[in-house]
Amino acid sequence: MRALTGNRLTDGEAVFWKAGAWVERFADAELFAAEDAAETAEGHAKAQQTIVVDPYLIDLVESEGLWAPVSYRERLRALGPTNHPMHGKQAEGGAAIEALRHAHGAARSTGRVNLIKRK
Amino acid sequence: MYQYDAIDKDVLADRAAEFREQVDRRLKGEITEDQFKQLRLMNGLYLQLHAYMLRIAIPYGSLNSTQMRKLAEIGRTYDKGYGHFTTRTNLQFHWIKLKDAPEILDHLASVDMHAIQTSGNCIRNVTADPYAGATADELDDPRVWSEAIRQWSSLHPEFSFLPRKFKIAITASAKDRTAAKAHDIGLMIRRARDGQLGFEVIVGGGMGRTPFIGPTVREFLPANRLFSYLEAILRVYNRHGRRDNIYKARIKILVSALGREEFARQVEEEWAKIGPAGDLPDTEIARIRGAFAPKAFDVLVNRSEKYEAALATDPAFARFARNNLKPHKRAGYTIVEVSLKGIGDTPGDATSEQMEVVADLAERYGQDDIRVTHEQNLVLPHVRLDDAHTVYLALAKAGLGTPNINLITDIIACPGLDYCALANARAIPIAQDIAKRFADQDRAELIGELKIKISGCINACGHHHVGHVGILGVDKKGEEFYQLTLGGSGAEDASIGKILGPALPADKVTDAIDTLVEVYLRERHDGERFLDTFRRTGDAPFKEAVYADAH
Repeated sequence: MRALTGNRLTDGEAVFWKAGAWVERFADAELFAAEDAAETAEGHAKAQQTIVVDPYLIDLVESEGLWAPVSYRERLRALGPTNHPMHGKQAEGGAAIEALRHAHGAARSTGRVNLIKRK
Repeated sequence: MYQYDAIDKDVLADRAAEFREQVDRRLKGEITEDQFKQLRLMNGLYLQLHAYMLRIAIPYGSLNSTQMRKLAEIGRTYDKGYGHFTTRTNLQFHWIKLKDAPEILDHLASVDMHAIQTSGNCIRNVTADPYAGATADELDDPRVWSEAIRQWSSLHPEFSFLPRKFKIAITASAKDRTAAKAHDIGLMIRRARDGQLGFEVIVGGGMGRTPFIGPTVREFLPANRLFSYLEAILRVYNRHGRRDNIYKARIKILVSALGREEFARQVEEEWAKIGPAGDLPDTEIARIRGAFAPKAFDVLVNRSEKYEAALATDPAFARFARNNLKPHKRAGYTIVEVSLKGIGDTPGDATSEQMEVVADLAERYGQDDIRVTHEQNLVLPHVRLDDAHTVYLALAKAGLGTPNINLITDIIACPGLDYCALANARAIPIAQDIAKRFADQDRAELIGELKIKISGCINACGHHHVGHVGILGVDKKGEEFYQLTLGGSGAEDASIGKILGPALPADKVTDAIDTLVEVYLRERHDGERFLDTFRRTGDAPFKEAVYADAH
């Protein structure tokens, strides 16, 4: 399973793709089971240059019955900094945030690796 | 402090206006992100994990209360009420919105501040001794030369697109508080036997992926020849620096590849071509020197009855005085170090309220002078001993009275993976955890000087290579691991730390530090710091203990 993410141009907020638009909460992100659908969405996202910066696909794992990014870096983006628990998206709390906090994974997102290679 | 003239002010106003237009064009889609990125970085604006980060220059770590209050205001208005002081003596805001950035630059310009040359392959902010103008052991005021370099290097067309970034440090004291030997150029002010002022010039130090302690390329450079010599160094670098490979592009790689002698020879050759025409006139140096004329110090005796009485009656103040007050060159004055390393806090962070407290104290008791250290603390360089207790009480009330300068809890940590797009692992929680373990001040003082420095990636913003104990975060298949290095120093006895062994998982790091400390306490001879003991014994006892515990 994959999701599509990037940073919003106007404020740098980490955002996630949902049916052609961008949402702030990872829990609201569109999940892609099919590779084709994910890559098509990524193509559309890359065309939205005045909305989002450097969109890329991230890999997900199951955590507490919900989906969470495999890579720790992506979970931090979806949560906020660990030294300020009330800063960033984590401040609102709830089951989706807890699932992200408890998730385990041990790989970088392939999408981001591709992005680094491209640069 | 140096005062900007009308031209300086116009340059900053123009720059802010130019950036406003560039942001507007980006938002409208008239330029792409690839085109815009270069422009925003030239104004210190990075895109990180959660938001934009704005890095603001604090030239040679020196600012006044008006500027500090402005930073507090920006933190409160545009960030989340705090800022992060860095190992480059700059200030970073981590929650900036692109659309607000031009307005923030206007605010900064209103107090003669900016974010120019805080990113990019140019000459960055100069690091100077934070005790400049206050310490008795300096041969000259390094701020004079730092300011001259700032003016010379700002928007210098020849040196705006170097092979890679370029950092200069200046110290005038035997005790190096700038990590001069780990900079691209380290300038150590010297006095010749005939009394002439000059510099020992060290080139090619650095940290990052390939750390080096810089070699001395010239033992004594007459002070009035500084700028032609700097120009010669930068020209040789500009000509031969490895633009083809970002990992080999710093001047340290060039100096290492050519060898010290050959590099020095090429610099001398270039220097001869430039000649004295490349130097600043003495009158210009004198003009700049005027801005740093000694403050109007009161004539005082060295003993303050008020201070002595406070020491005798307030043990917390006595502890603060032991660790955070440093000798001043004038009788009856002291240098106050303000720790931004509260136990369990984020190293280098200050809230807007704390910035305002420091600004108020500087204005009222400290000749309106504030410094930032590369160890991420603040300094009030000129406080009367009579006022030291009052200043301490105000600092303590604001959570700034931690008496731990140079102790094990005075840890450098970069923002790490909690914020930084380049990081592989977090640095801040490791620092917080270690500080909590050593929260007992008696134990911390028993251990004495021990500098822990933590970086979240090999770029080494946390200076781990020159920590007595360095900690480097690495990514092992997506998991955070930490590699320990021992025996580094960024001071006058500079050295690069040696890797102790395999990286440890995050939850083993603090235990390992505890073990290192126990070995040190067991092995140390009278008067030895951790670093001295390590240098005498080598890594064997430390390695044995840490890996016996870890496995």
